[in-house]
Amino acid sequence: MAYPSMGEAHRRITDYLNNFSDAVSYQDVASLAQLFSFSSNSPPLLSVADALNFFQDANRLIKQSEKFSQYGEILAPLFRSLQSYRTGNLVDAYHAFEKFANAFIQEFRNWESAWALEALYVIAYEIRVLAERADRELASNGKSPEKLKGAGSFLMKVFGVLAGKGPKRVGALYVTCQLFKIYFKLGTVHLCRSVIRSIETARIFDFEEFPRRDKVTYMYYTGRLEVFNENFPAADHKLSYALTHCNPLREANIRMILKYLIPVKLSLGILPETSLLEKYNLLEYNNVVQALKRGDLRLLRHALQEHEDQFLRSGVYLVLEKLELQVYQRLVKKIYFIQKQKDPSKAHQLKLEVIVKALKWLEMDMDLDEVECIMTILIYKNLVKGYFAHKSKVVVLSKQDPFPKLNGKPVNS
Amino acid sequence: MLTESTNQDDDEMMNQATNTQTLASVEPNSVENRYVINVSQGQTSLYVASTTGSEAASWNTYGVDNHFAENASFSNSTYHHVKHSEPSSRAVQDGSNATSLATSSTLGATDTQPDYGGYASYSNSSDPYSHGSTGYQGYYSGYQQQPNPSYSQPVGAYQNTDSWRLRKQQLHSSDYHMEWRQLCKLYYTPPQHYKQWAEYYNQTEVSCAPGTENLSVSSASTQVSQLPGVSGGYSTSNSQAPTTFATPWRPESSSSQTPLSQPGATVTGAYDSYWTNGAPTFQNQHPSPVQPLFVKALDTKYSYSNFQEQQNTACPQIPNLQYPMAQQAPQNYQPTAQTVQSSETQRLSKLQIQTNPRIASNLPLGLPKLDREGPNNGVISKPAYISVSQPKSSEKVLSNDATDSVIKAGVFPKSLKNYVQRALTQCKDEKQSAACQEIMKEIITKATNDGTIHTRDWDAEPLFQIPNTDMADKNSSQNPTPVSLFSKYKKSPTKRSKSRWEPLPEEKSVDKLGSLNNYAGKYSSKVHLDEKDRKPTGVNYEGKSDVMKKIRFPQMELKSASRTVQRQVKRQRLADATAADNGDASSDSDKEQNLTAYYSGAIMLADTPEERKRRENRSKRFEKVQGNRAESNHFKAKNAGTGNLYARRTTALVLSKSFEDDGSRAVEDIDWDSLTVKGTCQEIEKRYLRLTSAPDPSTVRPEEVLERALLMVQHSQKNYLYKCDQLKSIRQDLTVQRIRNHLTVKVYETHARSALEVGDLPEYNQCQSQLKILYAEGIDGCHMEFAAYNLLCVIMHSNNNRDLLSSMSRLSDEAKKDQAVQHALAVRAAVTSGNYVLFFRLYKTAPNLNACLMDLYVEKMRYKAVSCMSRSYRPQVPVSYIAQVLGFSSSTPTNEGSDEKDSDGLEDCVEWLKAHGACLVADSNGEMQLDSKASSSSLFMPDPEDAVAHGDASLAVNDFLTRTSL
Repeated sequence: MAYPSMGEAHRRITDYLNNFSDAVSYQDVASLAQLFSFSSNSPPLLSVADALNFFQDANRLIKQSEKFSQYGEILAPLFRSLQSYRTGNLVDAYHAFEKFANAFIQEFRNWESAWALEALYVIAYEIRVLAERADRELASNGKSPEKLKGAGSFLMKVFGVLAGKGPKRVGALYVTCQLFKIYFKLGTVHLCRSVIRSIETARIFDFEEFPRRDKVTYMYYTGRLEVFNENFPAADHKLSYALTHCNPLREANIRMILKYLIPVKLSLGILPETSLLEKYNLLEYNNVVQALKRGDLRLLRHALQEHEDQFLRSGVYLVLEKLELQVYQRLVKKIYFIQKQKDPSKAHQLKLEVIVKALKWLEMDMDLDEVECIMTILIYKNLVKGYFAHKSKVVVLSKQDPFPKLNGKPVNS
Repeated sequence: MLTESTNQDDDEMMNQATNTQTLASVEPNSVENRYVINVSQGQTSLYVASTTGSEAASWNTYGVDNHFAENASFSNSTYHHVKHSEPSSRAVQDGSNATSLATSSTLGATDTQPDYGGYASYSNSSDPYSHGSTGYQGYYSGYQQQPNPSYSQPVGAYQNTDSWRLRKQQLHSSDYHMEWRQLCKLYYTPPQHYKQWAEYYNQTEVSCAPGTENLSVSSASTQVSQLPGVSGGYSTSNSQAPTTFATPWRPESSSSQTPLSQPGATVTGAYDSYWTNGAPTFQNQHPSPVQPLFVKALDTKYSYSNFQEQQNTACPQIPNLQYPMAQQAPQNYQPTAQTVQSSETQRLSKLQIQTNPRIASNLPLGLPKLDREGPNNGVISKPAYISVSQPKSSEKVLSNDATDSVIKAGVFPKSLKNYVQRALTQCKDEKQSAACQEIMKEIITKATNDGTIHTRDWDAEPLFQIPNTDMADKNSSQNPTPVSLFSKYKKSPTKRSKSRWEPLPEEKSVDKLGSLNNYAGKYSSKVHLDEKDRKPTGVNYEGKSDVMKKIRFPQMELKSASRTVQRQVKRQRLADATAADNGDASSDSDKEQNLTAYYSGAIMLADTPEERKRRENRSKRFEKVQGNRAESNHFKAKNAGTGNLYARRTTALVLSKSFEDDGSRAVEDIDWDSLTVKGTCQEIEKRYLRLTSAPDPSTVRPEEVLERALLMVQHSQKNYLYKCDQLKSIRQDLTVQRIRNHLTVKVYETHARSALEVGDLPEYNQCQSQLKILYAEGIDGCHMEFAAYNLLCVIMHSNNNRDLLSSMSRLSDEAKKDQAVQHALAVRAAVTSGNYVLFFRLYKTAPNLNACLMDLYVEKMRYKAVSCMSRSYRPQVPVSYIAQVLGFSSSTPTNEGSDEKDSDGLEDCVEWLKAHGACLVADSNGEMQLDSKASSSSLFMPDPEDAVAHGDASLAVNDFLTRTSL
């Protein structure tokens, strides 16, 4: 790569500084944000980084002029970060960036209006991404990755700056979402709670006033939290909100939402079209859906086994596993229909043996006691209406709606 | 009187020529006592503060702040010292010096002599330091009994304390009685004086906290002044005085204490140095540098005296004049420190002495006599003065006979004799002196035995404290007024609920010290802020802060379980060395360095660089507070070589002890790295005792022994409690030796298993978490078994899906093939689906100790199952079926011919069902049936019998004991 000449480097750096001070003085947030957006890898930024690495004494330039030196606290670490970023030393880049970010929010606090919110967004995003990359670097060096955690606490600070009253509050949700991303990545989901509380209890600010983008992200993450808690109606609500409000062109986002929304809907007894699964490449759910439709326990278990890792990682494994009862219900229902066709008068009396036989046919080797247990559970959970006569080993189905549909209600637990 | 006193004085001089150091040390001691007490004890200190305030007021009449007053006493003593302190050969010279001083100070020889006389009268016991204390005591007593012949003594004492003023007064009225009167008047009557005092404070804005408060004080004081009956109403005045003063002081509460102490200290130091300087000067040792200063000092004195005179006449300017004195004193001080080694040592000795009370408190004998005496003398009649009298009184009373008895002439070095004398001075009554003698004997025997008797610096040796039993009573006997004051003083950082008469628990000192330093820092900074004329004072204070530091650190040290006698000696040497090193060039900062170095040297005998660093950091913790000290740790380096393991350990002990006591600073402050020991203990059996200090290698078992110990435990037939105890001690020994290998894993596994067997989950969890780390380190063990346990634990315990998911996703493929893990996973499935049949089948086929963990869920599972059954079954379910399905019977359903066993299980099941509110009916065949419909509404989960308030039954000792078949 052709290194710029000294003069060129000087010019580039001065340009950058000028851009910065102009952006601040004209409150031109777009160009300000550009200056911070490392991950965009924009050519101007990279060339400045090169220039910095070549020139080495950028601090002198900052101090040169009153115009720049008043932002020395911000610019000096920013340059250092940019340099390190360019040379691939991400840990150092992160450190410097955090310093820069701290200095920036200090400045941001002093600005009355929220004009620089976009720039702050960029910083919040960059610091998270940088922290992730720095952690990867640390991990590969066998050190403990803790930068993301640091970024989390920094963003918490930013959240504190924004979460109060005033025009800056609009930015709080963006930071919250970045925090969610960090917490979910770190597995410290419990930390989300305080942020959520702060968002949801704030009376002075209607949730709808936040930018749509942030609302969708927020709903997605909180919906996921509800999935963990197996609070399906709430999860359904949040994820559906995210789905209906998200940009329909962002298929990746839609897929992410559906990945959680489908299991939630399934456990509420709502099955997706196969076309939907195909469209968003969610075919891992296909067999699950088929199993539910057919009452095929074996298929369900196979599907779970097949995608076990995936489901475990995304956290829907347990949700899907619980679909087993619905599969049983479907199976019993099927048996019931067959019996009804044969002998309508005795259709509501299901012999346990028959069910055991059906399961055996599905290669599920279960003995009477076990199946009896499952039947009692089905009745107990109101998936089957009726009762079990132990003496005669018969499930006596209610004559009215023996297999109630869930219809959006979760299985009784 | 005069002649008498002079004679005595002379005698004293002769006697004490050797004593100088002791004296010096002693005085600081008294100061320290008081200060320490103040600082450490919130209420008391407050009280003291108030008292001091009152005192101050009273003194102020003389234009001296109470601090100064006290200081004055010290200074006197120092003065004394100086005279005496100079080589005994110079005793005569000293005398002349004194005279010359007096002359120069325009006081006239007579003036000084009277002073001396005053001393002498008290010091007739040949204990110079007793002056201050005795003086006060005497003063008090004298006060009460004005007409008494003893009165003259008190006056003398008074003089001691307030030598300058007294002198002045003496000048005015050669008649002591007259003086006395005047004093009384001054103290109690004249409002103007109080005002003056206030003014003084205002004007000077004394660097000490009180300064700011003075305004309020002034008003209060004025009131007070009117209140007290001058002559007889001492007690009344006292009681009132404290209150009134209390108010003014309170605002500063936090700082007030320190200020008090600080000024005292400073002044002392200043005086010390001053005098020491003076002495040299006169001897022409350091003619050039010292003299001018000295002269200045004299001048100030002069002025001071003038002012005092004026004071007598209620002249408002007095305060200012006094200040100069203080200021100049420090100036002189520095030179002294450098030039005269002895002065340095003196200081040191002071320091140590100051620590004395601490030590004493440590001693089993217990209660410091000092404290007690104070109350006795002062409290009852005059609370206001208690604080002052206290410290002094402690050392006051000389029991010469006792001294004699302890000391066998000729055998022991003079310094030792002095030491003994000092010690005996503490004793107030026969009992105490007896006890004191006991201690002395012990100490001396010890010293003789280890041959340090002649090498030890007895002058620097801290005094122990004499046992005192009735302190508490004294406390209660205190005036009611002070109590209220106490409450007001709550702000003070050092406040404690305990009575101040109690021996201070060692832990407090750390904090105290911190606060002290804080204050010192504050002071110095404040001082700097002051106007130029006050700057000298600032110096003063810094010096003081040093002093304070000294006080502190020794204290800390002294806390150490081992009385660290040798160390003190070492310290002394160190200090000397420091003094020598620094030579003439030493300045305040140098002194500071010395102090720090000395401190560090004493406390930290560090071996390794990290160790040193760590210690350094630790010491910085305190120093940060002070802000103004940039430490040179060269001394530590010097000491580095001397540290051996033992030293390190003791240090650690000290530190750990103090930290532990401190509470806020926990064990983590202890540098365990440096404490890694190699055990030497060969005992296989060892009781577990939670370490509260550094481990002692002689009680730690090496690895081989631990291995045998583990085997022993594994094959032991004794109960779990015994095993747990043994295993914990093994774990501890492993930890302190930092052994992490297969043995460690084995120990933890063994412990975890035995804990599981009895359901001791807390212990199990500890082991499990350790095992997780150990396995992660790649040490082999029963990884799978414990992975299964872990999984089961997550299922059974936390109903946390995320944890469950993460532990499941963390399982390797290999792990999933393991039988135990598979079982655990199956159990999980059964639990999440509520499949009770499967659950109890798995329960019966559980490998390892999986069943133990499942046990924890059995009750819940059964209850769920029965509620499910009662909801689903109609009309009835046979209990035998329930018993079989819910694992009451030990037989599997396919197992034929297990009727007998079944019946056992049946009974259990019936019992269980009844306990849970199920409705049971007998059918036509006499078989018990569960009436499901009736039961569906009547089922309940009974309160666990072993329910405990804190929610974890396994933590309840009784329950634990019952479950662990003893």
